[in-house]
Amino acid sequence: MTRRALVVGAGGLGGPLALALGAAGLELWIVDPDVVEASNLHRQVQFTPADVGQPKAARLAAAVVARGGVARGFQTRWTPDDADDLGEAMDLVVDGCDDPGTKFGVADWAVAAGTPYVIAAAVQLGGNAMAGAPGAACYRCLFEAPAPALQCATAGVLGPVVGAIGGVAAALAIGLVRGDRTHAGSIFVFDDLRAGADPRIVRFQPRPGCPACARAPVATRRAESA
Amino acid sequence: MITVRVPGPLRALTGGAAEVSLDAVTVRGALAELERKHPGVATRVLDASGAVHPFVRLFVGADDIGDLAGLETVLADRDELAIVPAIAGGAHA
Ligand SMILES: [Zn+2]
Repeated sequence: MTRRALVVGAGGLGGPLALALGAAGLELWIVDPDVVEASNLHRQVQFTPADVGQPKAARLAAAVVARGGVARGFQTRWTPDDADDLGEAMDLVVDGCDDPGTKFGVADWAVAAGTPYVIAAAVQLGGNAMAGAPGAACYRCLFEAPAPALQCATAGVLGPVVGAIGGVAAALAIGLVRGDRTHAGSIFVFDDLRAGADPRIVRFQPRPGCPACARAPVATRRAESA
Repeated sequence: MITVRVPGPLRALTGGAAEVSLDAVTVRGALAELERKHPGVATRVLDASGAVHPFVRLFVGADDIGDLAGLETVLADRDELAIVPAIAGGAHA
Protein backbone atom coordinates (compact mmCIF):
# COMPACT_ATOMS: atom_id res chain seq x y z
CA MET A 1 0.00 0.00 0.00
CA THR A 2 1.37 3.39 -0.97
CA ARG A 3 1.84 5.74 1.94
CA ARG A 4 1.02 9.38 1.39
CA ALA A 5 2.91 12.27 2.95
CA LEU A 6 2.11 15.97 3.12
CA VAL A 7 5.22 18.15 2.72
CA VAL A 8 4.73 21.72 3.94
CA GLY A 9 7.39 23.99 2.47
CA ALA A 10 9.32 23.34 -0.75
CA GLY A 11 12.44 25.32 0.11
CA GLY A 12 15.77 24.50 1.70
CA LEU A 13 14.38 21.88 4.09
CA GLY A 14 11.42 20.79 1.98
CA GLY A 15 13.76 19.93 -0.90
CA PRO A 16 15.83 17.24 0.80
CA LEU A 17 12.74 16.06 2.68
CA ALA A 18 10.72 15.57 -0.49
CA LEU A 19 13.54 14.01 -2.49
CA ALA A 20 14.26 11.51 0.28
CA LEU A 21 10.63 10.65 1.00
CA GLY A 22 9.85 10.41 -2.71
CA ALA A 23 12.78 8.07 -3.21
CA ALA A 24 11.54 6.01 -0.26
CA GLY A 25 8.34 5.36 -2.19
CA LEU A 26 5.93 7.72 -0.49
CA GLU A 27 3.37 9.61 -2.56
CA LEU A 28 3.88 13.30 -1.83
CA TRP A 29 1.59 16.29 -1.70
CA ILE A 30 3.81 19.35 -1.59
CA VAL A 31 2.49 22.74 -0.45
CA ASP A 32 4.32 26.08 -0.81
CA PRO A 33 3.01 29.51 -1.79
CA ASP A 34 6.23 30.89 -3.24
CA VAL A 35 8.02 30.95 -6.56
CA VAL A 36 11.70 30.10 -7.04
CA GLU A 37 14.03 33.09 -6.83
CA ALA A 38 17.61 33.22 -8.03
CA SER A 39 18.72 33.99 -4.47
CA ASN A 40 17.27 30.62 -3.33
CA LEU A 41 19.47 28.48 -5.53
CA HIS A 42 22.49 28.26 -3.23
CA ARG A 43 20.55 26.40 -0.55
CA GLN A 44 17.58 24.97 -2.43
CA VAL A 45 19.57 22.59 -4.56
CA GLN A 46 16.49 20.87 -5.95
CA PHE A 47 16.04 23.89 -8.22
CA THR A 48 18.01 25.06 -11.23
CA PRO A 49 18.21 28.48 -12.88
CA ALA A 50 15.52 27.29 -15.31
CA ASP A 51 13.08 27.07 -12.37
CA VAL A 52 13.36 30.75 -11.42
CA GLY A 53 9.93 32.36 -11.48
CA GLN A 54 8.13 29.01 -11.32
CA PRO A 55 6.11 27.78 -8.31
CA LYS A 56 8.35 25.97 -5.83
CA ALA A 57 5.78 23.29 -5.03
CA ALA A 58 5.32 22.27 -8.67
CA ARG A 59 9.04 22.37 -9.43
CA LEU A 60 9.91 20.29 -6.39
CA ALA A 61 7.17 17.81 -7.30
CA ALA A 62 8.67 17.65 -10.81
CA ALA A 63 12.10 16.95 -9.32
CA VAL A 64 10.64 14.06 -7.31
CA VAL A 65 8.84 12.69 -10.37
CA ALA A 66 12.00 13.00 -12.47
CA ARG A 67 13.66 10.64 -9.99
CA GLY A 68 10.91 8.07 -10.34
CA GLY A 69 8.75 9.25 -7.45
CA VAL A 70 5.11 10.28 -7.22
CA ALA A 71 4.34 13.85 -6.20
CA ARG A 72 2.13 16.80 -6.89
CA GLY A 73 2.58 20.41 -5.93
CA PHE A 74 0.10 22.97 -4.67
CA GLN A 75 0.98 26.66 -4.85
CA THR A 76 -0.73 27.75 -1.68
CA ARG A 77 0.11 28.62 1.90
CA TRP A 78 -0.87 25.79 4.20
CA THR A 79 -3.65 26.79 6.53
CA PRO A 80 -5.70 24.74 8.97
CA ASP A 81 -8.82 25.78 7.05
CA ASP A 82 -7.94 23.99 3.84
CA ALA A 83 -5.80 21.36 5.53
CA ASP A 84 -8.66 18.94 5.76
CA ASP A 85 -8.95 19.07 1.98
CA LEU A 86 -5.23 18.96 1.30
CA GLY A 87 -4.25 16.64 4.06
CA GLU A 88 -6.97 14.05 4.08
CA ALA A 89 -5.80 10.51 4.68
CA MET A 90 -2.16 11.42 5.14
CA ASP A 91 0.11 8.81 6.65
CA LEU A 92 2.78 11.38 7.50
CA VAL A 93 3.17 15.15 7.68
CA VAL A 94 6.55 16.87 7.40
CA ASP A 95 7.16 20.57 7.79
CA GLY A 96 10.14 22.55 6.59
CA CYS A 97 8.44 25.89 6.08
CA ASP A 98 9.81 29.18 7.29
CA ASP A 99 6.70 30.57 8.98
CA PRO A 100 6.55 30.10 12.77
CA GLY A 101 2.76 30.20 12.93
CA THR A 102 2.42 27.65 10.15
CA LYS A 103 4.76 25.25 11.96
CA PHE A 104 2.51 25.29 15.03
CA GLY A 105 -0.57 24.95 12.81
CA VAL A 106 0.89 21.96 10.98
CA ALA A 107 1.85 20.26 14.23
CA ASP A 108 -1.52 20.96 15.86
CA TRP A 109 -3.31 19.64 12.81
CA ALA A 110 -1.23 16.46 12.69
CA VAL A 111 -1.83 15.83 16.40
CA ALA A 112 -5.58 16.33 15.97
CA ALA A 113 -5.57 13.96 13.00
CA GLY A 114 -3.53 11.34 14.85
CA THR A 115 -0.87 11.50 12.10
CA PRO A 116 2.87 11.16 12.76
CA TYR A 117 4.84 14.25 11.84
CA VAL A 118 8.24 15.92 11.76
CA ILE A 119 8.83 19.64 12.21
CA ALA A 120 12.20 20.86 10.94
CA ALA A 121 13.86 24.25 11.15
CA ALA A 122 17.29 25.69 10.39
CA VAL A 123 18.84 29.05 11.12
CA GLN A 124 22.40 30.15 10.48
CA LEU A 125 24.64 27.16 11.30
CA GLY A 126 22.23 24.92 13.14
CA GLY A 127 18.68 23.82 13.51
CA ASN A 128 16.43 21.16 14.85
CA ALA A 129 14.02 18.43 13.91
CA MET A 130 11.22 17.26 16.14
CA ALA A 131 9.40 13.96 15.65
CA GLY A 132 5.84 13.49 16.85
CA ALA A 133 3.38 10.63 16.86
CA PRO A 134 0.11 9.80 18.61
CA GLY A 135 0.59 9.30 22.32
CA ALA A 136 3.92 11.13 22.51
CA ALA A 137 4.60 14.70 23.60
CA CYS A 138 3.80 17.13 20.78
CA TYR A 139 5.42 20.23 19.28
CA ARG A 140 3.16 22.43 21.40
CA CYS A 141 4.11 20.44 24.49
CA LEU A 142 7.68 21.47 23.68
CA PHE A 143 7.07 25.07 22.64
CA GLU A 144 3.84 26.61 23.80
CA ALA A 145 3.69 29.34 21.17
CA PRO A 146 5.66 30.87 18.29
CA ALA A 147 8.32 33.40 19.13
CA PRO A 148 7.54 37.01 18.36
CA ALA A 149 9.09 38.19 15.11
CA LEU A 150 11.93 40.04 16.79
CA GLN A 151 13.24 36.77 18.18
CA CYS A 152 13.81 35.38 14.71
CA ALA A 153 15.70 38.43 13.50
CA THR A 154 16.65 38.27 9.86
CA ALA A 155 19.10 35.44 10.25
CA GLY A 156 19.88 33.58 7.08
CA VAL A 157 20.98 29.98 6.91
CA LEU A 158 24.06 28.38 5.42
CA GLY A 159 23.15 26.27 2.38
CA PRO A 160 24.65 22.93 3.51
CA VAL A 161 22.94 23.28 6.90
CA VAL A 162 19.47 22.87 5.43
CA GLY A 163 20.65 19.78 3.56
CA ALA A 164 21.91 18.22 6.77
CA ILE A 165 18.87 19.10 8.88
CA GLY A 166 16.50 18.13 6.05
CA GLY A 167 18.24 14.76 5.76
CA VAL A 168 17.88 14.08 9.47
CA ALA A 169 14.23 15.14 9.34
CA ALA A 170 13.66 12.75 6.42
CA ALA A 171 15.28 9.87 8.30
CA LEU A 172 13.05 10.54 11.30
CA ALA A 173 10.00 10.74 9.03
CA ILE A 174 10.76 7.46 7.27
CA GLY A 175 11.19 5.82 10.67
CA LEU A 176 7.81 7.13 11.80
CA VAL A 177 5.95 6.00 8.71
CA ARG A 178 7.44 2.55 9.15
CA GLY A 179 6.06 2.45 12.66
CA ASP A 180 9.27 3.21 14.52
CA ARG A 181 8.28 5.41 17.47
CA THR A 182 11.76 5.45 19.06
CA HIS A 183 12.14 9.19 18.61
CA ALA A 184 8.50 10.29 18.85
CA GLY A 185 8.37 13.09 21.40
CA SER A 186 12.04 13.94 20.87
CA ILE A 187 13.83 16.88 19.34
CA PHE A 188 17.20 16.65 17.62
CA VAL A 189 19.10 19.88 18.18
CA PHE A 190 22.14 20.81 16.10
CA ASP A 191 23.87 23.78 17.70
CA ASP A 192 26.51 24.41 15.08
CA LEU A 193 27.24 21.99 12.27
CA ARG A 194 30.75 23.40 11.87
CA ALA A 195 31.56 22.13 15.34
CA GLY A 196 30.17 18.65 14.75
CA ALA A 197 27.19 16.77 13.43
CA ASP A 198 26.18 15.03 16.65
CA PRO A 199 22.77 16.30 17.70
CA ARG A 200 21.62 16.82 21.22
CA ILE A 201 18.67 14.41 21.34
CA VAL A 202 16.17 15.40 23.97
CA ARG A 203 13.05 13.44 24.78
CA PHE A 204 10.49 15.62 26.46
CA GLN A 205 7.33 14.84 28.36
CA PRO A 206 3.74 15.73 27.47
CA ARG A 207 2.87 19.06 29.05
CA PRO A 208 -0.17 18.94 31.32
CA GLY A 209 -2.93 21.09 29.85
CA CYS A 210 -1.43 21.15 26.34
CA PRO A 211 -4.30 22.38 24.13
CA ALA A 212 -3.05 20.46 21.08
CA CYS A 213 -2.86 17.14 22.90
CA ALA A 214 -6.36 17.78 24.24
CA ARG A 215 -7.61 17.66 20.65
CA ALA A 216 -5.89 14.38 19.80
CA PRO A 217 -8.11 11.41 19.02
CA VAL A 218 -9.09 9.90 22.37
CA ALA A 219 -7.72 6.45 21.54
CA THR A 220 -4.24 7.86 21.00
CA ARG A 221 -3.99 10.02 24.10
CA ARG A 222 -1.71 8.92 26.85
CA ALA A 223 -3.46 7.27 29.72
CA GLU A 224 -3.77 9.97 32.34
CA SER A 225 -3.06 9.05 35.88
CA ALA A 226 -5.93 9.66 38.22
CA MET B 1 32.29 25.95 35.62
CA ILE B 2 29.38 25.14 33.34
CA THR B 3 28.83 25.76 29.65
CA VAL B 4 25.82 27.54 28.19
CA ARG B 5 25.02 26.61 24.60
CA VAL B 6 23.78 29.74 22.86
CA PRO B 7 21.44 29.26 19.85
CA GLY B 8 22.24 30.97 16.56
CA PRO B 9 19.59 33.69 16.87
CA LEU B 10 21.08 34.90 20.19
CA ARG B 11 24.74 34.85 19.20
CA ALA B 12 24.60 38.46 18.08
CA LEU B 13 24.37 39.17 21.82
CA THR B 14 27.38 37.03 22.72
CA GLY B 15 29.74 38.42 20.14
CA GLY B 16 29.13 35.38 17.98
CA ALA B 17 30.05 32.86 20.67
CA ALA B 18 28.16 29.57 20.48
CA GLU B 19 29.05 28.71 24.04
CA VAL B 20 29.75 30.68 27.15
CA SER B 21 31.51 29.23 30.18
CA LEU B 22 30.55 30.57 33.57
CA ASP B 23 30.16 29.69 37.22
CA ALA B 24 26.66 29.12 38.53
CA VAL B 25 24.85 26.97 41.07
CA THR B 26 21.42 26.85 39.43
CA VAL B 27 19.91 27.35 36.00
CA ARG B 28 18.47 30.67 37.14
CA GLY B 29 21.87 31.70 38.42
CA ALA B 30 23.47 30.70 35.12
CA LEU B 31 21.04 32.90 33.21
CA ALA B 32 21.75 35.80 35.56
CA GLU B 33 25.48 35.39 35.07
CA LEU B 34 24.97 35.08 31.31
CA GLU B 35 23.01 38.34 31.39
CA ARG B 36 25.79 40.01 33.35
CA LYS B 37 28.37 38.92 30.77
CA HIS B 38 26.16 39.49 27.73
CA PRO B 39 23.35 41.93 28.47
CA GLY B 40 20.11 41.21 26.66
CA VAL B 41 20.37 37.44 26.53
CA ALA B 42 18.28 36.73 29.60
CA THR B 43 15.36 38.84 28.43
CA ARG B 44 15.21 36.62 25.33
CA VAL B 45 14.89 33.60 27.61
CA LEU B 46 12.90 34.87 30.60
CA ASP B 47 9.87 37.13 30.69
CA ALA B 48 9.42 40.10 33.00
CA SER B 49 8.12 37.84 35.76
CA GLY B 50 11.21 35.66 35.58
CA ALA B 51 9.48 32.70 33.92
CA VAL B 52 10.83 31.01 30.81
CA HIS B 53 9.24 32.38 27.63
CA PRO B 54 6.74 29.94 26.09
CA PHE B 55 8.83 29.70 22.91
CA VAL B 56 12.03 28.66 24.67
CA ARG B 57 13.03 25.40 26.33
CA LEU B 58 16.06 24.88 28.54
CA PHE B 59 17.91 21.60 28.75
CA VAL B 60 20.66 20.46 31.08
CA GLY B 61 22.50 17.83 29.10
CA ALA B 62 19.71 15.79 27.52
CA ASP B 63 17.19 16.60 30.25
CA ASP B 64 14.42 19.14 30.03
CA ILE B 65 14.62 21.34 33.12
CA GLY B 66 10.86 20.80 33.43
CA ASP B 67 11.67 17.21 34.33
CA LEU B 68 14.26 18.41 36.87
CA ALA B 69 13.69 21.32 39.21
CA GLY B 70 12.95 23.98 36.59
CA LEU B 71 14.96 27.16 36.94
CA GLU B 72 16.07 26.03 40.39
CA THR B 73 17.76 22.94 38.93
CA VAL B 74 21.18 22.61 40.53
CA LEU B 75 24.09 22.46 38.11
CA ALA B 76 27.17 20.33 38.51
CA ASP B 77 30.63 21.21 37.30
CA ARG B 78 30.90 20.76 33.51
CA ASP B 79 27.14 20.60 33.00
CA GLU B 80 25.86 21.95 29.70
CA LEU B 81 22.86 24.25 29.71
CA ALA B 82 21.25 24.49 26.26
CA ILE B 83 18.90 27.28 25.26
CA VAL B 84 16.59 25.96 22.54
CA PRO B 85 14.15 28.45 21.00
CA ALA B 86 11.33 27.62 18.62
CA ILE B 87 12.81 28.58 15.28
CA ALA B 88 11.51 28.68 11.76
CA GLY B 89 13.62 29.39 8.73
CA GLY B 90 15.19 27.17 6.19
CA ALA B 91 13.24 28.32 3.18
CA HIS B 92 14.19 31.99 3.07
CA ALA B 93 17.39 33.80 3.90
ZN1 LIG C 1 0.97 18.53 23.34
